[in-house]
Amino acid sequence: MRISGGALLVAIAFTVPIVVELRTILAWFGVQISVFEGLVLGLALIAALLVYAFWPEADDSPDASSSS
Amino acid sequence: MSEAAVKSTDATTEDEGGIYLDQFPAEAKVIRSALYSSFLALALGGLFGIIQTLHRTDIYRFIDSETYYTVLTAHGVFLVITFTIFFLVGVFTWAVTTSLDRPVEDIRFTWLWYGLMSLGTVMAGGAILAGFTDATDISADVLFTFYAPMQAHPLFYAGLVIFVVGTWLAGADWFRSWWNWKQENPGERIPLPTFMVLTTMIMWYIATLGVATAILVFLLPWSLGLIDSVNPTLTRTLFWFFGHPVVYFWLMPAYMMWYVLLPKVSGGKLFSDPLARVVFVLFLLLSTPVGIHHQYLDPGISEGFKFIAMTNTMFLLLPSLLTAFTVVASMEHGARQRGGSGRLAWLKALPWRDPVFAGMALAGIMFAAGGFSGMINAGMNINYLVHNTLWVPGHFHLTVGTAVALTLMAATYWFMPQLTGRDLWNRSVALVQVVLWFVGMTFMTNAMHRAGLLGMPRRTAEPQYEGFEFQAGVGSVAELDAQIAIGGALLAISIVLFLTNVVLTAVAGKRSDLPDNSYADTLSGPEDSPLVLDNLKLWTAIALVLVVFAYSLPLLSIVERGGLFGPDVTAFPQHIQFVASMAVSVVGDSLATIDPVSSLAQFADTTIATLTGVIR
Ligand code: HEM
Ligand SMILES: [Cu+2]
Repeated sequence: MRISGGALLVAIAFTVPIVVELRTILAWFGVQISVFEGLVLGLALIAALLVYAFWPEADDSPDASSSS
Repeated sequence: MSEAAVKSTDATTEDEGGIYLDQFPAEAKVIRSALYSSFLALALGGLFGIIQTLHRTDIYRFIDSETYYTVLTAHGVFLVITFTIFFLVGVFTWAVTTSLDRPVEDIRFTWLWYGLMSLGTVMAGGAILAGFTDATDISADVLFTFYAPMQAHPLFYAGLVIFVVGTWLAGADWFRSWWNWKQENPGERIPLPTFMVLTTMIMWYIATLGVATAILVFLLPWSLGLIDSVNPTLTRTLFWFFGHPVVYFWLMPAYMMWYVLLPKVSGGKLFSDPLARVVFVLFLLLSTPVGIHHQYLDPGISEGFKFIAMTNTMFLLLPSLLTAFTVVASMEHGARQRGGSGRLAWLKALPWRDPVFAGMALAGIMFAAGGFSGMINAGMNINYLVHNTLWVPGHFHLTVGTAVALTLMAATYWFMPQLTGRDLWNRSVALVQVVLWFVGMTFMTNAMHRAGLLGMPRRTAEPQYEGFEFQAGVGSVAELDAQIAIGGALLAISIVLFLTNVVLTAVAGKRSDLPDNSYADTLSGPEDSPLVLDNLKLWTAIALVLVVFAYSLPLLSIVERGGLFGPDVTAFPQHIQFVASMAVSVVGDSLATIDPVSSLAQFADTTIATLTGVIR
């Protein structure tokens, strides 16, 4: 773990406002996505966070295709 | 309380260290009672919160829409008056006794003010809850703003007065402690927590003059039938004379926790004691003269006065920005003490696992968002866009509903062990609870702000009108409703987890080694702050002068125009039946003949029918 469990929980909570307003922000740039697509993007964001958090400390080249 | 209890507290003050319960057993008991009263209000308020959320989003309805006003009144009053203020008196008692290191002067007096506050709550709360049944004709469906001509049962107004008198005596209790301490410690600086309590209470004394006048001179005699009518603009203005500063009365205990507890749990010290004092003095000076900013849309107050209120309001940003700076600097200091480094990586070193820390930090972040929507409210021109829409509850669920409520809940996780001698029942549940609040509020307030921008009204059971659709910019209204309901549900779960943790801590928490009762040291201490900051007389005088400047002319012109007791205004519950049926026959029928607006007339019909029911 690169961050504590508590910090990870808070970091995941932090993606919620981003996910909630993602569609508005994208619409600003003319990109329309559905609730479902927004949800998928959010989950991807959280997955990326988890990968980062659990990636072994020594290895410094995170590869998003596999999670530990 | 008995004499013996007083003596026992005297005996223990000499010992340094230990938990609060050991240092001040008698005071701990009062504070515990105050906090439990506060949590009871939170439980009730939360229950009504989820009921109204599900009702107005039309997701699940089991009350009549006519009952909505009763639910909303109970929600507002229990949460922003009872929950917050009972917590405040508890925390302030802790702050004064801890920082002066002396027990209260007479614990019977302390119980007296707690008793008065409880009596007031039972009276006002009882009057509100009686609105749920037809068994009596007692009701107080007037919302927490109790604007005339809506009228409540006299019990409601009398209860509010007694509650406020209780807080006045509480303030007297703390001033007395400080005064006696001062005699024994001549020339010493007022310890920071006591300084915060005293400045906040001076602000409260000034502010409550407004409601006390509104209630004692006008509303209570009017509801008792002693006078026939009141001047609604006058009583509203007196309400907001108090209504803005009361916002800081909610916020000050949270600020105090951010200044004296947060740096400590972060593992560091408060960045600057003098800055904290400046912030509290600024709140004392600026919070009352701005109340008219809640009345930008009230007729009968000229634009010039509103403009002055707006300018003063913008100055109020300063103490909040100073707070943000000081608190973040203190957290960074804490993180670096704990081995954090880097430009942003220090954030990782903060104790995120600790619910006390995580809750307060999340509350602070939500407060920043609330600050931004607050600036929108404060602007006279842009306020017209959001006034009385759902935007406004969106804003204050970020400020009082999160910055304050979440901070108080997080602080509870620190106070419960101090006050009961028992370890928190479950730390992980506590962490999940504060995070859930953050997530729930994100959903609920975000959707409320956006619904407000579409013009969706607040304070109504039926925000969707027949034959009319709100047009969402991105997404849909149904989606906003869903977000509000999901958010509300998460909040309700969060409250349940919180209460469970509190109850189980009180009855089943293990006794173990607990951290000593103390608060954060400072990097820059009181010796660095100019002496003039401790001159409470000076600040009180300036605050009074500013209030006179801000309010004398508007009040005079309101009285000149509308008379002290107003143009003959009929009270709402008694005569609404008549007014409504008049409106239906006059407006409804004439509109119905014009085809394009027949749907409007139908809308008028249904609203009036609802209104008639609501205000039985
Ligand atoms: C379970 C948590 C909560 C839920 C689900 C909730 C939900 C709501 C909703 C939907 C409204 C708007 C009703 C309307 O205008 O029609 C509202 C109003 C309000 N809420 Fe909450 N809320 C919660 C917690 C809180 C907290 C913690 C506070 C303050 C400490 C608070 C203070 C208020 C106030 C003052 C109003 C306005 C009442 C009025 O307009 O007279 N709420 N709440
Ligand atoms: Cu205000």
